[in-house]
Amino acid sequence: MKNVKIVLIYFVLGVFLTGCYKHFPLDQDISRTQNTFFNQDSVKVEFPKIIQGKITLLAMVYTHCPDICPMTTHNMYLVQERLPRDLIDKVKFVIISFDPNRDTPSVLKKFAELRDLDFNYWTLLSGNEQNTKEVMLKFDVKAIPADSTYDNDGELSYSMIHTDRISLIDQDGKLRSNYKGSTADLTTIINDIKYLGE
Amino acid sequence: MNLLLAIFLLFSNPSDKVKIIDPWMRVGAQGQNTALFFKIENNSDKADTLYQVDFKQAGKVEIHETYDAGNGMMGMREIGKIVIPAKSTFELKPGSFHVMLIKLKQDIKKGFVGDFVLHFRNAGKIKIKAEAKEMMMKMHHKMN
Repeated sequence: MKNVKIVLIYFVLGVFLTGCYKHFPLDQDISRTQNTFFNQDSVKVEFPKIIQGKITLLAMVYTHCPDICPMTTHNMYLVQERLPRDLIDKVKFVIISFDPNRDTPSVLKKFAELRDLDFNYWTLLSGNEQNTKEVMLKFDVKAIPADSTYDNDGELSYSMIHTDRISLIDQDGKLRSNYKGSTADLTTIINDIKYLGE
Repeated sequence: MNLLLAIFLLFSNPSDKVKIIDPWMRVGAQGQNTALFFKIENNSDKADTLYQVDFKQAGKVEIHETYDAGNGMMGMREIGKIVIPAKSTFELKPGSFHVMLIKLKQDIKKGFVGDFVLHFRNAGKIKIKAEAKEMMMKMHHKMN
């Protein structure tokens, strides 16, 4: 009788713990509203409609950033390089600019080309202020103009203090996890994509 | 003897005391900004200061620091100079100290080699060449 009780306790405990376990910290549906953007070829697209059915790694950046944003983009590139071949077609990589006044589609295209980003997998988006703000709010990304300087030709240049993040969105349009962008743990991201792709 | 020492000092390269190791620059598009990275090895008995960098292909060059602004945010600010204590090595690296190359006058593509002049208070001018890459291969990613 005592043994039966112990087995029963373990069973109940097991059911309870299994119910509590979640692989991902987030489960936020980001597909309820759409925002209009232009991709690197100036084609009008709706986001997140363009990633429907795909596992997506997303980062919000600005291309005048000399350090953090290129590191974040490069980390996404490394994830792509290290994903198994059978998984890569299920994955999209999206960059959205939070500095759309400077980051026009052609600027984003040049940014991508210099880094050998493959447009079969990568989409870079620029939108108007309203759409950009709405997506920033959705992903809790902040960007504030900071240090500014005039170059030798008298032209103003400014940098931005900004959220340093890569986000993982699943095939159902749910935000599942956020990672530090510039110093991302690539193994964790790759394992999380594999988990979604299984 | 003193005369010999004076002649030696006159013709010796002051940059022997300061060595620049592994310089590289990040790719960048015309009109945008990018960064230069390297290690400074100060073998002298005195601290030295890097206070200016020249690069003809940039509209302006500044010495910067990337910093953690809290709440998952990162920022960048001009610091003006870097002091390298005697007998020590200082590293300018991604996510940290860097030379900011503002408003590039041309595309800096992979493989481009840029000519830079680094100005030190004691070691004087040191000319270096830096190749453009996306990232230094030794970046410390947490990969198993």
